[in-house]
Parts: sequence; C-alpha cells; structure tokens
Amino acid sequence: MNNLNLAWRNLWRNRRRTMITSASIFFAVFFALVMRSIQLGSYDHMYKNVIESYTGYIQVQHKDFWDEKIVDNTFAYDRQLERQLLEDENVEASIPRFESFALASNGPQTKGVLVMGVDPEKERYLSKVTDKMVKYRLTPEALEKIKQDSNLPEKVKELAILFENSAYTNNSRLQLDLGIDDKLASEIMPSIESYTAFQNASIHMGEPGVWVGDKLSQYLQLGIGDTIVLISQGYHATTAAGKYEIKGIVKLPLPDIDNKIVYLPLDICQELYNAEGNLTSLALAVSNNRDKTIAETVQRISKLVSEEHKVMEWREMNEVMVSQMDADDKGGQIMLGILYLVIAFGVFGTVLMLTAERKREFGVLVAIGMQKKKLASIMTLEMLLIGLLGILSGALVASVLILYGVEHPIVFKGETAKMFEEYGMEPKMAFWTIGTYYISQILIVVLMVLLAIGYPIRKIFGMNLVNALRA
Amino acid sequence: MKTSTKLLTLLLLWGMTLPMLGQELSPQEIVRKADEKFNGEKTSISQMAMTIVRPTWERTVELKSWSSGREYSLTLITAPAKDKGQSFLKRDNEMWSWNPTIDRLIKLPPSMMSQGWMGSDYTNDDILKESSVVNDYDHEIIGEELIEDRLCYKIKMVAKEDAAVIWGFQIRWIDKKDFLFLKSELYDEDGYLIRTELGKEIKSMGGRLIPSLLEIIPEEEEGQLTIVKIKEIEFNTPIKDSFFSQQNMKRVR
Repeated sequence: MNNLNLAWRNLWRNRRRTMITSASIFFAVFFALVMRSIQLGSYDHMYKNVIESYTGYIQVQHKDFWDEKIVDNTFAYDRQLERQLLEDENVEASIPRFESFALASNGPQTKGVLVMGVDPEKERYLSKVTDKMVKYRLTPEALEKIKQDSNLPEKVKELAILFENSAYTNNSRLQLDLGIDDKLASEIMPSIESYTAFQNASIHMGEPGVWVGDKLSQYLQLGIGDTIVLISQGYHATTAAGKYEIKGIVKLPLPDIDNKIVYLPLDICQELYNAEGNLTSLALAVSNNRDKTIAETVQRISKLVSEEHKVMEWREMNEVMVSQMDADDKGGQIMLGILYLVIAFGVFGTVLMLTAERKREFGVLVAIGMQKKKLASIMTLEMLLIGLLGILSGALVASVLILYGVEHPIVFKGETAKMFEEYGMEPKMAFWTIGTYYISQILIVVLMVLLAIGYPIRKIFGMNLVNALRA
Repeated sequence: MKTSTKLLTLLLLWGMTLPMLGQELSPQEIVRKADEKFNGEKTSISQMAMTIVRPTWERTVELKSWSSGREYSLTLITAPAKDKGQSFLKRDNEMWSWNPTIDRLIKLPPSMMSQGWMGSDYTNDDILKESSVVNDYDHEIIGEELIEDRLCYKIKMVAKEDAAVIWGFQIRWIDKKDFLFLKSELYDEDGYLIRTELGKEIKSMGGRLIPSLLEIIPEEEEGQLTIVKIKEIEFNTPIKDSFFSQQNMKRVR
C-alpha cells in the first residue's frame, strides 16, 4: 500500500481530530482573505472617490503651484499644448480647472471655501459632477407630506424623521435609508420621490452662477436662488470679490470636500480672480489607470510640457491620503500577523496532542518493522492533506463571500451610516475581488503547517521504542 | 555799576543760552515734530499712488486718503478699475472695509492685522497706526548721520514694556533742519531687522517740505518693495468727525 493511501486512511480513522485541525486552518485562511479583501476594497474605493471626484490621475500644473497654491502660480491655457496632450494614447480628455480658496458668506455666516472653476461639460469625463447634483431632499415640508401619507408604513416615517434634511443624488440611496425593500419600492417610492423632489439647475460657461456642496449650503443656510458672496485675493494681489446666485446643490461622496466646495464656471472664476485665460491645473482623464501605465504616461507627457509646467501623479497629489492608507494597511497587516500567530499556536497545539495520542501507535508500527522514514513521510502527507483541506475549503468559502461582496458592497444605513459620515467616510464597505493577495495569504498558512509538521517528525526519529510501547 | 554788570552778564548769558535751548530738543520732541510734520497736526487729505513691486510683477493702486488726528482715517481706492470704489475706514482702533462689487461692509478682525494691505508690504496694522511713535517708545539720540546729504539725528526708539507695539525697537533718521523721517529701520523683539522705510524726493507739498516718495522694503523677502508716491497733499483742512462714517465709505468720491 502506498504512503498516500495510508495517510488518507489514517486521516479518516479519527475524523474528529482531522476536522478540528483542518477547521483551525480553515478559519485562518477564511479570515485572512476576507479581512484583506475588505481592506484592499476600502482603499480602492477611497482612492477612486478622491481621484475621480477631485484630482484625477494626472494633472499638469504651474511648476510652483503645488508648493504654493496661490493664484499667481497659474499658467496660460494653451490650446496647442492641450492638443498635444490629447494625442497621447492613454489620455482620453483634458479638463481645465481653476482652483483657489475664498471666504464665502451669507449674512453673518462665513466660512473658508474651496473654489473650483470648472467647465461643466468637460467635467463629465472625470468628476462627473453633474451626476452629483442633489435630486431628492427630506426637507421639513417633504417630511410633513410623508407623515400625512397613510399609505406609508410607520417604519418609513420614523426613518424619514431621522434623516431630516439629508440630500440624495439618486433614489436607490433614498430607498435604502428609508428601509424600503424592493418589493415595496414600486408601490411607494414614486410618491416619496414626488414629495422629496429637489429643483436643481446646471451651471454653464459664461453664465454667472454657482453650485455649492450640500454640507456647505446647510452651514451657510443657503438654498437655490440665494446669493453667495465670495472674497479672496486675486491675481497679482488684486481684490477678488463677487456675488453669485446659487443654481444648484451638489453632494460629493467625500464629506470633507462636500462641506467646503463651491463650483463656478471656469471663465467666471477666472474673471473673479482677475486671471483671465489662466488655469491652476489641467487634469487628464486616462483610459488605463494601472500604476505602471500611469507612470509611463507621466513620463511621455513630461517631455511635452515646458519648464514652466509640472506633471503630477495622483499619488503625489494625495500624499496625505496615500500615507494614511499605508499606515492603515500596516495596521491591518499587524492584525493579520496576530491572527496568524493565534492560529499557528492552535494548529501546533492540535499537532502536539495528536503526536502524544499516537505515541503508542507509532511505537507499535516501528516495533513490527515499519521504517521510521516511511512513518515520517506518511505523517507529513497526513499533515499536508489536513492543511490542503483547510486551505481549500477556507479559500472556497471566502471566495464565495468575496465575490458576492464585490457585487453587493455592504452599505450601512440608519444611525450607523450617520456615524460613518460624521467621521468623514462614506458609509460603504467594499470588497476587493480575488487577486494576487490570495497567494501570499495561502503561502503563509502553508508555511505554518510545514512548521507544525516538524514536531511529529522529530518525535518519530527520536523515538525510544521501549518508552513508546509503554505509553 | 556792579548791578548793571551783573545784569549785563545775565542778559548775555541768557541770550547765549536761548539758541542753545532751541538746539537741545529732547529726542521725544524731535520725533513728535517729525510725526506731525508728515501726518499733519490736525488733518490731512492726500492723493497717492502705491506701487507694489514683486520679483515677477508689479502693480499700481491709486488712492485718496483723509485723516484726522490719530483717531480717524478714510481711504478710497480710485484705480485700477477693478478695485475702484473700495474704501477703508479707521475709527479709533477698529477698521472696516467696503467693497462695492459685493455690497459688503466688513470689519477687519484682529487676525488680519498683520496681513498686507491691498497686497502691499504695508500691513493693516500700519494703516491703523494703533501705536504712536511718540508715546509708545522711549527715545534716545544715538548719533548724527548724513542721509542723502542731509544731516540727521539718529534716534533709537525702544518700545515701552506695556505698549501694544509689534516692533522691539526702531532706529529713525530725522532731518535736523526740517524734521523729516528720511530713514527708519524696524526691528523685531529679537533684534532682527524686519523692514526698512526710506523717505525720498523731498518736495514742498501742501505748504511744507516733506518726502514725497516712501519706500517700504521688507528684509526677509528678496525683491519685494512697496513704493508710495504722494501726488497731492493738504494739511489741516477742517474735516468734521462725521465724515469718517460707514455711510460715507459708500458715498465718498
């Protein structure tokens, strides 16, 4: 009979022992993979949010702008350069922007804000800010109508009160916050949508008018049609001051930016800062956003621009966020390390017990003529099989969960969602799809099993036959 | 005879000491005279052009200014077109700005006092002149020097301990004959030179001799400079205190 066969039979001779040992490995693999998936998924989600709603992957700027973000460090919008940039294979679109700070006020309310001069049409390629316009809002009037509608369940009404004044850019989020399931949705959503509908208009190049972030509008107590006053320092220390009608309210997924952003049409913004024709940055939308491709694109573009310009990559522009994520990543890895340590001791413990239990069995086998070498190799195979069983089942179950999670990210609702938003995070937990991180996690578990095998092997070779038989 | 000799000697002595007394002005008196000479004993009305020089650009702002004593002043920007109509009012130690484009009257908070006024090297605090070169410093003559062929008192002014002054000490060169500030060096509390001010192109304006060009040179910023050219100035024309009002900020031309 060959070793593998013997090992296989040995495994099922004592089922419970096998199950316990492989279960500990199963949990190690399962938790490690799910934890890693959620971690990587959240980073990716955060990056995407920031990059796609704000910086973009690549930007061309004035060489001093990044170090000193003042209006004097702007550059002329050069259409020829833009055409050259667009010829690059990876550049899909170029989005001109004029970014600065200002003091915004409405009556006695004042706040420092981020002013973004944008071309609303071109932003479709990158920040898609038009999709972020508020469509529904649970205003006090809307709540009153909801309360009086006898067709609506009590639970929906309660939740609606909890979310008073919340703004929504799409109806699915509204449905989720109000705890309405899909079956009920077709019945009651149309009436809720009509109660909460929010009138919002777009801004256009050449027409004075602004969009403000939802949180900022609440802070300054401004609504559609109200006037916002902006004061700042313009180009070459001129006074930049203007008052604009609020055309629309946008809700950005980043609460930190949502509470300070004001969008102006690019040309109106340039006029405000007395910097006609100038830009602070030319953001580029790329077709391939893999790190390596981005780096190559940056290299190609750097050759096109003059010395006055600087090409920046998203990592440089979001340094704080990248290092925050790195720190968080290290923290996650330490947690994984602790998890592995606990499980390694668990595996080692079961192996230790298993060896002690089978001491006599080993002694008898050797006494009747089995070579220690053969015994050791059977033992190794047994352990490897247990490991394989644990790893495969762990990976399988984790994959099912992860694949489901990728399609259906966990979206928090109710109070939890509010808490997340107060911390400046989107109430969403995304998963990262099956990827190369599987390999490292599985390798670590394999290594753990191999280390654990060492113990019974040593015991077998160092066995004192007489003592073993008496055990 | 005896008494008459005595009387004569006394008269002579008195006659000799009289001009000497005139010479022996206290350093505080010298600074006060120079201060009044430039700012007017009571009021002044002036038109100026302020040029802000930066390493890569420069810009000129034209302004009209009314002031009465230390307490009141009103400044109106007259050019360029984009800034025209903005006005600044100072009453005692408060300052407001009026911006016609946004119809807003803004009270400048204390946190903005050290910021440059209209982007120049003048700070809002300089405009406010909360501190007095006469009352908030201890003065001492430390020598005499020639500045542009004019003999000057060199006066060191150390800020009094309880005075609300941002400078540690100043050294000012004041023309001996006409009491003009020709040069000032302003040092911080640690004794570092922060800013130099020069008075140039001495001319007769508004019936008195004053430097018609002021240069403010911040020491820590390479290539930065603010030049104020006085185009017209009148001294001691009566201005009612009610002229310096928030209503007038919006009306004044």
